[in-house]
Amino acid sequence: MSAIPADPPHATKAHADAAPTLGQRLRRITRSYLFRVLLSGLITIWAVTTFTFVLIRQMPGNPVDIKIDQMMQTQNLTYEEALRAAATLFNFDPDRPILLQYTDFWSDLLRGDLGASITRTGVSVSSIILRYLPWTLFCVGLSLLVSFSLGILIGLAMGYWRGSWFDNLMTTIASILSGLPDYIIGLLIIVIFGVQLRWFDIGSVRGGVDPTIEAGFTLEYIGSIISFATMPVLIYVLSTIGTWILSMKSSTLSTLGEDYIAVAKARGLSEQRILMGYIGRNAMLPLITRLAISVGLVVSGTVIIEEMFQYPGLGRNLFIAIAGRDYTTMQGIFLVITIAVVFSNIFADFVIGWLDPRVRVADGETAQ
Amino acid sequence: MTYDRNHVVLSVRDLSVTYQAERGRVRAASHVSFDLHAGETLALIGESGCGKTTLNLALIRQLPKTARTSGDGVIYTYRDGRQADILKFSDREMRRYLWSECSMVFQGALNSLNPIIRVSDMVYDTAKAHGIGRDEAHKRALRLLEQVRLDPARVMRSYPHELSGGMRQRVLLAVSLLLRPQIVIMDEPTTAVDILTQRSILDVLKQLREELNFSVIFISHDLAVAAEIADTVATMYAGEIVEIGPVNEVFYRSRHAYTLSLLNAAPRLSAGAETLESIPGKPPDLIDPPSGCKFHERCAFAREVCSQTPPPLITYDDEHQASCYETERVLAQSEVTRKVAAP
Repeated sequence: MSAIPADPPHATKAHADAAPTLGQRLRRITRSYLFRVLLSGLITIWAVTTFTFVLIRQMPGNPVDIKIDQMMQTQNLTYEEALRAAATLFNFDPDRPILLQYTDFWSDLLRGDLGASITRTGVSVSSIILRYLPWTLFCVGLSLLVSFSLGILIGLAMGYWRGSWFDNLMTTIASILSGLPDYIIGLLIIVIFGVQLRWFDIGSVRGGVDPTIEAGFTLEYIGSIISFATMPVLIYVLSTIGTWILSMKSSTLSTLGEDYIAVAKARGLSEQRILMGYIGRNAMLPLITRLAISVGLVVSGTVIIEEMFQYPGLGRNLFIAIAGRDYTTMQGIFLVITIAVVFSNIFADFVIGWLDPRVRVADGETAQ
Repeated sequence: MTYDRNHVVLSVRDLSVTYQAERGRVRAASHVSFDLHAGETLALIGESGCGKTTLNLALIRQLPKTARTSGDGVIYTYRDGRQADILKFSDREMRRYLWSECSMVFQGALNSLNPIIRVSDMVYDTAKAHGIGRDEAHKRALRLLEQVRLDPARVMRSYPHELSGGMRQRVLLAVSLLLRPQIVIMDEPTTAVDILTQRSILDVLKQLREELNFSVIFISHDLAVAAEIADTVATMYAGEIVEIGPVNEVFYRSRHAYTLSLLNAAPRLSAGAETLESIPGKPPDLIDPPSGCKFHERCAFAREVCSQTPPPLITYDDEHQASCYETERVLAQSEVTRKVAAP
C-alpha cells in the first residue's frame, strides 16, 4: 500500500553495529569539539595575519622612506644621497606588488621561516622573537598572575564584607587605579619614590638584568633578573589590578544574592567553605574569559612600561619595529600575539568547563 | 496524622521582626506566638507579603542584617530535654543548631543547589560542618535519596543541572533530613513544580514524616496543599497570626473573617462551578498599618470597634484561637458555606 520506500529497521541496525568505516571515522573527527575549535582557531590566525599584512603596509611611509628621513635629518645628506645609502642598506623593494609580497610571506611562513628583519640587516625575525619573548613572558606573566590572584581575593573580600571600611577604602583605591593609565602610574612612582624620596636609584632600574653579571643559573644572576623586573611588575600590577578588583566585587555581589548561598548558610557550613567553595568559585567564572584575553596579550608585553624601563621585552621591539616600519618584524610579532590569544581562548574554554560543569562539552568529551 | 500534644519542640513567644527602611520601620512580623509539637505539621497560610517567610527566616536567624528581631524567646527543646533560647545563641551555637536540629527546604529548588558541585559534595559539605564522617554521610544520603524515590547512586554523582526541578526539590528534601533534625521548615516547596511533581513530593513528604517523625513548619499559599498535609493551620495577616487551630477547625469552622475570605477566594475541587470571591483592596502598608484590626478596611464584617481597638487573640474550643470581634457571624457563615460546598 505504501509507496514510500523505507529502510528495513534491521538493516540500519546492522549498519551501526559494523566496524566504523573510514568515512564514519572522518565524520567523527570533524564533528568533535576539539577539531572544530582548532579549525576556527586556524581560520582566525589566517584572517588576522592577512589583515595585519595589508594594514601595516597602508601606514604612511615604508622602511626605506623612514630611513631616508632619518639619514637626511641626522647626517645632513641630500635626498638622493640618502636614497642611495638606504637602498644598499636594506634588502627590501618597496615597489614590489603587494600580492607577490603576500605569496612570498606565506611560502616562507609555511616553511617555518618568518623572514629577515628589514631594518636590522642580517637579523632574522625568529631570532628577535626568541631572544626577547622570554623576558616578556616572565615579566608580564608574573605581573598578570599577581594582579589577577590578588585582585580576585581583594574583590571577593570586598563583596563579602560589603559596606565595611575595607570595602569603601578599596573601592576608592581601585577606582582611581583603574582610571590611571600605566605610564602615569610609572612616572608617578619614578618621580615620587625615585626622585623625591630616593628609595631606589632611577638609573639602576633600566634594563632587564645587570650586564656585569655573568649569565647562568646562579643566585646572583636570577636575583638580578628579579630585582630588575620589580618596577615593571609593580607598575603593571597597579595599573591592571583595579579592574580585576572591581569586576570581582560586582560578580561577588551578584553571586551573594543566589539562593544556594542562603541554603549553604542555613546548612551551617563554615564561613570559609561558603566563601571559597560557594561564593568565590562561582563569582570567578565570568572573569576567566577576560583572563584568557589578558593571557594571550601577555606576549605583546606592555609597550610603554618596557620602553620606560628599557626592559628587553617584545613590546619594546614591536614599538621599535613600528617606528621603523619594519614590516617583517611586525608581522612576526603580530603572528605570535595572534596565536597566543587564540590558544589561550581555547584553553580558557577548557578551564571554564573544568570549573563549571554546566558548560562542559557534550558528546563525552569533557575538559578533564 | 497524630502528634504528641504534651511534647513541645519549639515554643515561639511574642516574636517580632522589624526592618529599617528609608520611609520608616517595617513591622514584618509582630507579636507572633505559637507552639510546635513533636511530629506536628504546622501550615502557615496567607497572602504574599504577609510575613510568612520573614517569620521562618527569623526562626533560623537568617534574616538580612537590616532586620531587628525581638521577643520573649524562641525556646527549642533538644531530644534530651535540654532547653535553649535560639535568639540568645552565639554564632557558633547557631551554626551547630542549624540543619542538625532545624533544617529548611527553600522555595525555588532550581537555584538552591550550588551549580558547580555534585550532589555528593553538597552532602559531604553539610556533614563535615557538623562533624559527621564522609562514609556515614554517604550511607545516610543513599538511604534518604532512596526514600525520596530517586536513584541514589546516579543522583549522588550528578550536578544540579543534570536533574529536573522535581528531582532537585527531592534532593533538597533528602539533604534537609541528613542530620536527622527535629524540625524541618519548608517554604513553598511545591510552588515551582508542576502538579504531578507536586503530588509526588507531597507523598514522599508524608511517608518520610511517618518514618522519621519530625515536625514541619510548612509555608504555602496553596490552601489545598496545606489542608492535605497540615495538622495545625495558622493564618497570617500583616505580620500577625490572626487565627490558629487544628486543620479541620480552621478550614471548616473559620473564626476569623480573613481566613474565611481566603478560603472563599480559593477554588475547591469538591464544589461545582461556584463563584470565587476575591478579597477587595490590597495587603496593608506595614510601615503605617491601619488602626484596630489590620484587616478592617477590607473586611465585609467590619464594625466601628474593628477600626479602633485591635481584637485580642481568644482561645475557643479545641485549642482554636482567633482575634476577631465578629467571630460568631464568621463562624455561622463559614458553616453555611462549607455545607453548601459539600456534595
